[in-house]
Amino acid sequence: MKTLFTSNAPKLSIQLMKPTLVMALILCFFSTSFMNLDAQNTASKSANNVQESLLKGIVADENGPLLGVNILLKGTTTGTFTDEKGAFTFPKALKQGDVLVFSFVGYDTKEIKLVGNLTMLKVEMTSDLNEILGTVDTNTPYKSKRSKRRN
Amino acid sequence: MTYLRYIIVLFAVWQTNAQRSDFNHIDFKKADSIALSYSNETLHNLPDLTSKLTANLETEVEQFRAIYFWVCHNISNDYSWYLKNKRKRERFKDDLDQLNSWNEQSRSRILKNMLNKKRTICTGYAYLVKKLATLANIECEIVDGFGRTSMIDVDKLTTPNHSWNAVKIDNKWYLCDPTWASGIPNPETQKFMFYYNDGFYLANPKLFAINHFPADEKWLLMDQNAPTFKDFIDAPVVYGKAYTNLNGHEAPKKMHHDVRKYETITFKYELAKSVEADDITFEIDDGYRNKKIHPKTTHQEDSSLTVQYQFDTTGFYDVHLFIGEDRISTYTFNVKG
Repeated sequence: MKTLFTSNAPKLSIQLMKPTLVMALILCFFSTSFMNLDAQNTASKSANNVQESLLKGIVADENGPLLGVNILLKGTTTGTFTDEKGAFTFPKALKQGDVLVFSFVGYDTKEIKLVGNLTMLKVEMTSDLNEILGTVDTNTPYKSKRSKRRN
Repeated sequence: MTYLRYIIVLFAVWQTNAQRSDFNHIDFKKADSIALSYSNETLHNLPDLTSKLTANLETEVEQFRAIYFWVCHNISNDYSWYLKNKRKRERFKDDLDQLNSWNEQSRSRILKNMLNKKRTICTGYAYLVKKLATLANIECEIVDGFGRTSMIDVDKLTTPNHSWNAVKIDNKWYLCDPTWASGIPNPETQKFMFYYNDGFYLANPKLFAINHFPADEKWLLMDQNAPTFKDFIDAPVVYGKAYTNLNGHEAPKKMHHDVRKYETITFKYELAKSVEADDITFEIDDGYRNKKIHPKTTHQEDSSLTVQYQFDTTGFYDVHLFIGEDRISTYTFNVKG
């Protein structure tokens, strides 16, 4: 089994975590052997390409990890948030073709389509709020500044 | 090029009068009550918030309405931060490095306050409206530009100071101002208070242009009669209540006037709803005292209101138009003998 990932999302960087990969391969090997005991289950799983482990990941911007980024499985309400290290574990096993939506106040919403058997995802968010302006409305009446001459 | 020009003109003509009355057949009660029922929602899960606000609404205009209404009723204005931001921006206006560094600093504070306290200044309002609308597949833009109130010194209005939204509904662009719709500073404490003004929702572009001038003029959404920046600077002060009472402010086009005693001054407005002649008053301030008068000549035809006035004494006057209790606009008159 080959771990493979690609993405359509722009500016996405996925880092391959070597120890995790080795772990995943070992896990795959074992789980495949165990799952042979339940042939039907294995068949349906491989048909949908359901991941054997929960997807983990890190979300950051150019300054470092982001706390509180929302991650949703598109079209559902299943999701999670990143912790103070920017890390998350998606609570549900995902399958090929699933789309994750990363959203956070101040950053472009990012959609990532899962291809292959992803175990580790690194997502960089780009800010979409740059210039900050502000004026408030008021009911305070306009009052002319009057010179002494006018008075 | 010629083709392009035709297309631009056509586009502009087609855009005229993109305003709320296009949706008179729609009752926004359902959208408004959905928005109010989610007052306890936070900004931590924007896709979820968007779907809660829009899932049970059929039309684009109602979906956008629920988003806009939610933002206007749940995001408070960080008034003290606004004052600080204004000072800094004025100080750094000629120093791009300083301005950028200030923007970077304020950006992280603004995001934190928006997320954790649901508090922001206007770019934050416009930003949230855009963000939620985009998640609902409604095309929406932040428009940066110049906003003008009674407290703004127009001589100092040299850099953009305000942000609002343009939104595309049923293939047509409309304007709205969620910041000004959400509330005003309390006149006594100067602290922000929620005081929703429905007039800023899909406002008439002609009225909107009197106190909103976009940095990119295409967002005036007007044809070749579009005002210039000078027209905007010269225009009278109009208040939030103008938006609930008027569809247009036709005359006078200027704030400051030199007139003669007994010269007839004509005021002309497009009304949003008909008014009683008794409801129209001028508050006239000569610097010492205020007096309220009913102008002798008022004329109403369909939605058009004409008011005429003559000064019978010389002096310098601030004139405020009221409809009922609502302060609509202010002009000054220097009356000579």
